[in-house]
Amino acid sequence: MNVFSHRSLSWLLPALCVLALVVNALRSNRAAAGWDFRNFGTLPVVANGRVQPIDSLARNHLLAIHATQRVPGDDAPATPAAWLAELAFRPAVADTRKIFLIHHDDILGLTGLTRGSGKSFCFDELRPAFPALQREAARIESIDAQKRSAYEKALIRLTRNLFAYNQLKHALALPRKENMEAEFGLFLEKVVSALAAADQPEPPDAALMEDASARMREMLAWVPLSEVYTTPSGAGDEDWRKLPDSVIDSAQTGILHPAALAYARMGDAYRAGDVKAFDQAVAEYQNWLAANRAPDLRKSSAETLFNRLAPFYQSMAVYVVAFLCAAFSWLRPDSALRGAAFRMLLIGFCLHTSGLVTRMVLEGRPPVTNLYSSAVFIGWGVIVLSMVLEISYRNAIGTAVAAVIGFGTLLIAHHLSLSGDTLEMMRAVLDTNFWLATHVVIITLGYSSCFLAGFLAIVWILRRAFGGMSAEVNGSLRGMVYGVICFATLASFVGTVLGGIWADQSWGRFWGWDPKENGALLIVLWNAIILHARWGGMIKERGMMVMAVFGNVVTSWSWFGTNMLGIGLHSYGFTDAAFLWLISFIATQAAMIGLAWHGPPQR
Amino acid sequence: MMGTVVKFLSSLRLTVFLLGYAMVLIFIATVSQVHLGIHEVVQQFFRSWLAWWDVWPGEKRLSLPLPGGVLLGSLLIVNLLAAHGSRFRLSKGKMGMLLIHSGILLMLLSEICTGLLGKEAQMTVNEGQIRNYSTFPREVEIAVIESTGDGMETVHAIPQSRLKDGAVYPFPGFTLRVDRYFANADILEEGVVESDPMRATAGAGVGYAVVRKPRETAMDRRDLPAGFVSVMPDTGEALRFLLSNAMAQEQSFSVGGKHWKLSMRQARMYHPFSLKLLDFSHDRYLGTNVPKNFSSKIRLLNPETGEDREDLIYMNHPFRYQGLTFYQAGFANDDQTTILQVVKNPAWTLPYISCAMVSLGLLGVFSSHLRKAVARRKSITQP
Repeated sequence: MNVFSHRSLSWLLPALCVLALVVNALRSNRAAAGWDFRNFGTLPVVANGRVQPIDSLARNHLLAIHATQRVPGDDAPATPAAWLAELAFRPAVADTRKIFLIHHDDILGLTGLTRGSGKSFCFDELRPAFPALQREAARIESIDAQKRSAYEKALIRLTRNLFAYNQLKHALALPRKENMEAEFGLFLEKVVSALAAADQPEPPDAALMEDASARMREMLAWVPLSEVYTTPSGAGDEDWRKLPDSVIDSAQTGILHPAALAYARMGDAYRAGDVKAFDQAVAEYQNWLAANRAPDLRKSSAETLFNRLAPFYQSMAVYVVAFLCAAFSWLRPDSALRGAAFRMLLIGFCLHTSGLVTRMVLEGRPPVTNLYSSAVFIGWGVIVLSMVLEISYRNAIGTAVAAVIGFGTLLIAHHLSLSGDTLEMMRAVLDTNFWLATHVVIITLGYSSCFLAGFLAIVWILRRAFGGMSAEVNGSLRGMVYGVICFATLASFVGTVLGGIWADQSWGRFWGWDPKENGALLIVLWNAIILHARWGGMIKERGMMVMAVFGNVVTSWSWFGTNMLGIGLHSYGFTDAAFLWLISFIATQAAMIGLAWHGPPQR
Repeated sequence: MMGTVVKFLSSLRLTVFLLGYAMVLIFIATVSQVHLGIHEVVQQFFRSWLAWWDVWPGEKRLSLPLPGGVLLGSLLIVNLLAAHGSRFRLSKGKMGMLLIHSGILLMLLSEICTGLLGKEAQMTVNEGQIRNYSTFPREVEIAVIESTGDGMETVHAIPQSRLKDGAVYPFPGFTLRVDRYFANADILEEGVVESDPMRATAGAGVGYAVVRKPRETAMDRRDLPAGFVSVMPDTGEALRFLLSNAMAQEQSFSVGGKHWKLSMRQARMYHPFSLKLLDFSHDRYLGTNVPKNFSSKIRLLNPETGEDREDLIYMNHPFRYQGLTFYQAGFANDDQTTILQVVKNPAWTLPYISCAMVSLGLLGVFSSHLRKAVARRKSITQP
């Protein structure tokens, strides 16, 4: 008896996979002994216009600065939240962490640094170069963003990262202050008594007034150093204050806000190495939040959990296994691997969906709000469509293609997330859930179906060239590609048209020939051409497959190319990483098209 | 012979060729936007019979003639009508196709109508101000204003399209001649850099020189036109004025005891009603510069109908009145001024109808395909 055809295999593999995922999730969610950075990370703050946990703030900054969420070094903080605690409470140590990436040699030249062991440098190493960097940044800021060279873009990115790093350093504490709680207490005492003295008829004590105003000046100077709002004050969503602002406010009442007190105690405990005091300060503040700002705490806790479980990352791994199972099942047509592959895909899909839904709930928005979420949703849409195909055709082709596209789009999403917060707020012009839910979702499904048709056609080309395809598989693929192209035509057309209607509703023109609209129209036209050519007998099987592959090129242009028009096609912009990837993708598609003429003659 | 022509015009090959060419045209036009700007590209590539394409943009080294959008659209219409006239027969099975194609025909026609009949202007109002006209942001006019003594003024406007070097316009008592017109220019103090040799002899432009500049292509920038005009009285010496819409003030002169004022300004569209801006508000997300919303609270005043009511214009919520639609487009002047986009498009309903037709048709055709495919598979698997 062959092990591959054993029926239990189709259940065993998925079961093992679920087990591995559960173990992994439990491990990543386990509270570590010692410092309670896990709960510290869930504390809500307002940054980038939205309530988010400290954990997200730390992750997004690390991603933007270092392109990964891990700080290098043996003694480095283990989690992003732990890194942020170090940055806020012991900045002198954080400043020695080599996290700033410098890829461009001209920037190295400017900063006087040399390529030593790596391309990462720490804040302290860059400090002497600040005047030179600032001068260059001021010059570059006056250049049109589209006309900047690769060096200029990299330099602006570096100075922005340094600036953001410095802002984060000032979010929860004032560097070089050893005892924050005492400092805040003295501030309150002096300023409150100075205010009281000023109301009295007799002249106030000059020394007291001088001390109080020096402390006030120091606090006021702190305000512009950070853009993180740490202190929930009042009842509304908008009523958040920066830490120094809230301390200044408390001079009116004489009582420090619980958030200010908590962050001061956390910092003092961290510096003193007092794990118990730190954990207690975190717990006390969490209790206060649970009693007073429960919705914010719930939201930030949910987001922290989402960050930690990383469902998209997990599903990428599952898709790889699903693809391998599906591909091996073609080698042994009678094997149980096809069922295993489909179930693995289903597991990945559940993770993918849970991530998508969590994001929707956190944002209170339909699934697609920016380029990042469009990548996540394109993959999701492809998997839904492929599951329909797999259920009706049962040949593992739908599963294989779904796994490849699911993996690919999540990889693209990961790279897009390097540019910052992916749950960013919507600009006023896009702030309409109705059109986001209709136009954007449908047009993105159009992209999904075009990619699906294209990749199905690639399977046809590859299996015909290398595998020797049976007539049955050949017929199935023909039916699948044709059906998906029909769906793509419908979704792209309806999506494009709904976009026109949105434009008419919000700025008075149905069609404006802007690059994104033109891109969408190209997809509709290309699908219409394929269908007309097929109906007119101008193309046969191979023609349809080749045209579907070219549909990948058209769709990737509409999805990404149009966004690069400003930068990519300008003479300087060719070095943009995304542009190179687009060109490479197009090259691979061209190679696939060339391969279509390899293999047995058409029946 | 006639048969061959009809066969060619109605062929699917022609459809595929035309659609393929449409993709080429759209792609070239999209890429050309980087250098020409959207407005210029729409005029040059889509609203034209013949488009001249600069292969190396901005260098004028090689220009190729391409069939423009109007020609392409017309050919598609001919192809569609010929196909339906010669090949399609009215049957139940073909209803879906007929619906799709009629919808597409309507869509092509509506784009042509919009091009011919549509107008886009802007209304810029400060808080507390009342406006009864909109301006065309890409168009200027020369206004010649005659004061008739009783506090009334008569405005003569010369549109941009007629501002050609050497053009003359007769007025009572004098002739106005356009000496030189610059589609985009810088006005500088005399003697700073190399400039056009012409100088003004009267008015606010004395002591200034004009430097011709290339047309603006960026979306967010506008041309700054300027011109020299001569006022040539029937008797007496001619006066030459420098006009530009960068100059805020009107310039005045007298001929035969009558006072006249002269200016170059954005072309205007007057309305039989007024809008007053009561309040403009602009919120940003906390700690960012990302706009959360903008809105303009306005009061509509129409003396003819006696209307006097308030409304709020904000993103995705325009104000429609008398065939015009006012959209929140922008703001200026430290959030004290609102900029409303004013659109007149009599054909605005056509796209809605055509889209509904095509969508229904596609749905019908593809679902019948699906039904057939499923039936075929069933007959294969269960013989």
